[in-house]
Amino acid sequence: MGIVASIIVAALLGALSFGYKSVREGAMGAALGLLGGSVILGSLRLCTFAADAASTEAVLGIGLAGAFAWMFGAGTRAVLGQRSADLGSGENRSGTYKLGWYWPWLLLSPTLLILILFLYLPAFQTFTLSTKLANLTSPRTADRCLSNFSDLMVESPTRIAMLPLVAIAMIWGVALWSKRSTPGTRSHSIAKTLQPMGILAVVFAFYFMFETESGTGGYRLIYLNTIIISLSIVALAMTVGLAMAYLAFGRIRGITVYRTLLIWPYAISPPVAGILFFMMFNATAGIFAFLADKIGIEFPNYTASAGMARGVIVLASVWKLLGYNLLFFLAGLQTVPRAQIEAATLDGANAWQRFRLIVMPALGPIAFFLLVTNLTYSFFEVYGTVDLLTKGAPASSTSVAIYEIIRVGVNNQNIGKGAAQSVLLFLAVIGLTAWQFRQSEGRVSYAGS
Amino acid sequence: MKRIFGLLTAFALIASACGGSDDGGGDAATADNPVTIDMWIAFSDDARKGFTEEKAAEFNTAHPEYNVVVQSFDSYNTVFEQAALAIDDGNPPELIHFFEAATQQALDAKDKDGNAIFASVTEAIDGRDEILGEPVVIDDVVSAATKYYTIDNQLYSMPWNTSTTTMFSNMGILEAAGISDPPDTWAEVEAACDAIMALPDAPSEGCITWPNHGWFFEQALGQAGADLANNENGRADRATEVFLNSDAALDYVQWWSDLEDAGHYVYTGTQRDWAGTASAFNAGNVAMLVYSSSDTTVLTDTGKENSVDVRSSFMPHNGDAAYAGNLIGGATIWMTSGLSTAEQDGALAFLNFFSNPKNAGDWHKLTGYIPITNAAVAQLESEGWYTESPNSLVASDQLNAAADTPASTGALLGNFVSIRDVVTLAIEDILVNDVDVTERMGSAQSEAQTLLDDYNELNG
Repeated sequence: MGIVASIIVAALLGALSFGYKSVREGAMGAALGLLGGSVILGSLRLCTFAADAASTEAVLGIGLAGAFAWMFGAGTRAVLGQRSADLGSGENRSGTYKLGWYWPWLLLSPTLLILILFLYLPAFQTFTLSTKLANLTSPRTADRCLSNFSDLMVESPTRIAMLPLVAIAMIWGVALWSKRSTPGTRSHSIAKTLQPMGILAVVFAFYFMFETESGTGGYRLIYLNTIIISLSIVALAMTVGLAMAYLAFGRIRGITVYRTLLIWPYAISPPVAGILFFMMFNATAGIFAFLADKIGIEFPNYTASAGMARGVIVLASVWKLLGYNLLFFLAGLQTVPRAQIEAATLDGANAWQRFRLIVMPALGPIAFFLLVTNLTYSFFEVYGTVDLLTKGAPASSTSVAIYEIIRVGVNNQNIGKGAAQSVLLFLAVIGLTAWQFRQSEGRVSYAGS
Repeated sequence: MKRIFGLLTAFALIASACGGSDDGGGDAATADNPVTIDMWIAFSDDARKGFTEEKAAEFNTAHPEYNVVVQSFDSYNTVFEQAALAIDDGNPPELIHFFEAATQQALDAKDKDGNAIFASVTEAIDGRDEILGEPVVIDDVVSAATKYYTIDNQLYSMPWNTSTTTMFSNMGILEAAGISDPPDTWAEVEAACDAIMALPDAPSEGCITWPNHGWFFEQALGQAGADLANNENGRADRATEVFLNSDAALDYVQWWSDLEDAGHYVYTGTQRDWAGTASAFNAGNVAMLVYSSSDTTVLTDTGKENSVDVRSSFMPHNGDAAYAGNLIGGATIWMTSGLSTAEQDGALAFLNFFSNPKNAGDWHKLTGYIPITNAAVAQLESEGWYTESPNSLVASDQLNAAADTPASTGALLGNFVSIRDVVTLAIEDILVNDVDVTERMGSAQSEAQTLLDDYNELNG
């Protein structure tokens, strides 16, 4: 039953992603899809459909088969497209080495070696580990199929199957709507405004897929923490960074001193930022508690409420990121064409209009770069800050994904479960980055003057 | 050219630094080429780390053919994690300081070829009376510690710092509220707190606090004579079932939660918050602190500096149930297997030197950990130490008052460290989010049982 469903899904998605203009093309796509599906299910030894596997594991298995079918189909299509483009336009063909085909590989080998040893191999091991029960001090491991993943999700297979489908249907529906409607009409503008709903649908779909049973609020709480804390960090660090860069860009006496001081926090490591904020905000021995006591105010214990604890983590991380963002925004501001601003001023544009219509577009590429790096920071490097400020307290409400991975995988030494969570985080970051690239296509202009 | 030369020199330096760390580890132990014994400890505070380093230096002077190198980590958990990673790497140090909760896992730890990572200290001593001139003291270790750590009639690791949970009271506040002796039972604690919090200048944060640490939960089970795990707390045979929601467990957590709801118990908001709870007590922001007896000396001395009379007493127990006794906590030192004779003898000699009567006595005076050997106890008594500092006797008294049952000995349990995490997380949820005690401990129970099953599947 599960295997049949996987075959159908893999063949369909293979054809869909590869192309189905002719019967031959469709058949080839289906074959590629089947190949992709069997590669992943084969390496799992079809365990997802074993008699003792949970039904949620079977659903995940079908999903994996579909995802691999899609990757194989779309991947082959991309390679074929590239080759025909290479062959089609003679003058644009990439150069060849006269010394032989092996020459570029030889030049690349040091980099490749390091990448393979320290990136691809460990990444591959993480994927294998995520299907096992493994403990740091025991050489033995036991196969766990996909249960490390399905344990993080609700026990309802229909929900796990339906939610992603609903999310995908929403994204496609809106995309189709905006494609079919005539630009300029009300219908088209509604479709356009609905477009960001796609990512929201995915975010919500995941929220309802994660379980709430284990620990304090289950993995759903960890997911919620990650979203709230990461998005707050990125949003605040970007806007405040831009605002401060705009202010620090002006001609003020001793501006270099200010700038240097403003950039300083970037040089401090996340754990040190954690210690600094701990010393300021600690309710018993902190500086603010001391000052509040002097003027007779009860300073609250930030680890006592989820909101405050998250707030302090966001504050510490934003403070830490600010210098970095400021540096890049300052550099970006220097590339804004002065002539355009002067012309706009002469045309009567006010400061806000100049900022919105000239400065902001010119900062596009930098802002996009910062968005990616800030997101990476808020997903991964925030660990040190969380560990020193709250250790996930109160009641796991500041335990973000990366903190939970280390808690489960290293502190509790269950490296299989830790690996499964880190695979999820990896997929989330890949997905978000891909989405950002897609969104920024056409909006971010790298054309210099 | 100059730059290339610089680069080459840098490479050469790096290469020699990498190569130079090899300490040979051969059998020939000489003063010129001393054998290195690496020791990882879980203490990073000046006093305890300093004591260990000082003793290592004394040992190195007395035995120039050895070089005991102490590396400190900031907590038991960190040392445990780092050791697990080093074991996974195949390169653990000779001596590792593991807390009691890691005992089962240290016993079971195997390298990639399936050989035990740690050697039995009793077996390695092999009945010798002295090693490299250092008298063997392991047979003289006090009964509370031997009871806990003896497995298959031998001590796999050398007991070192051993404590129990005791209560510390700010007598100034208690006396102001008309209480002359620290409360003994839960009901007395409640009554004392009612009186204290009714004071016009009641302590600012609350009446009582203690860290949300799994150890206190285990102590409460021990007091009630309830086992944490089956097979006689894992001592008759490997534990396969854990009991986090027994009646005794629920009673304790419910009492704790009620005490918090009443505004008497102060939760600092963080699990395992030793520093935060102690500083609230030292600052006079709470009147009572249930803590580890390991800090008896520093808590008493800090009180003296602030002109506060700090009195130590037994950990309060449930007056409605028969008192079975408190258990120990603390840590032992494990020796890795596969060492050369020279390395092993050096390590064993150091361990016995480290806990000889004088050193064990000094260690007790410095901290409050119980004197680990009977000889050390006798020496402290003859010195008149206990009349001078009565607080220091409470921990030993409390341990000696315990019945000799598996419940008051403490559990041997796989994945114990993670199970403790499950307990503290559940209690935090109960304290912070006011969820139902029975329900929440029930879900903690099933999580802990899964952890134990997982552990036994890999190690059983």
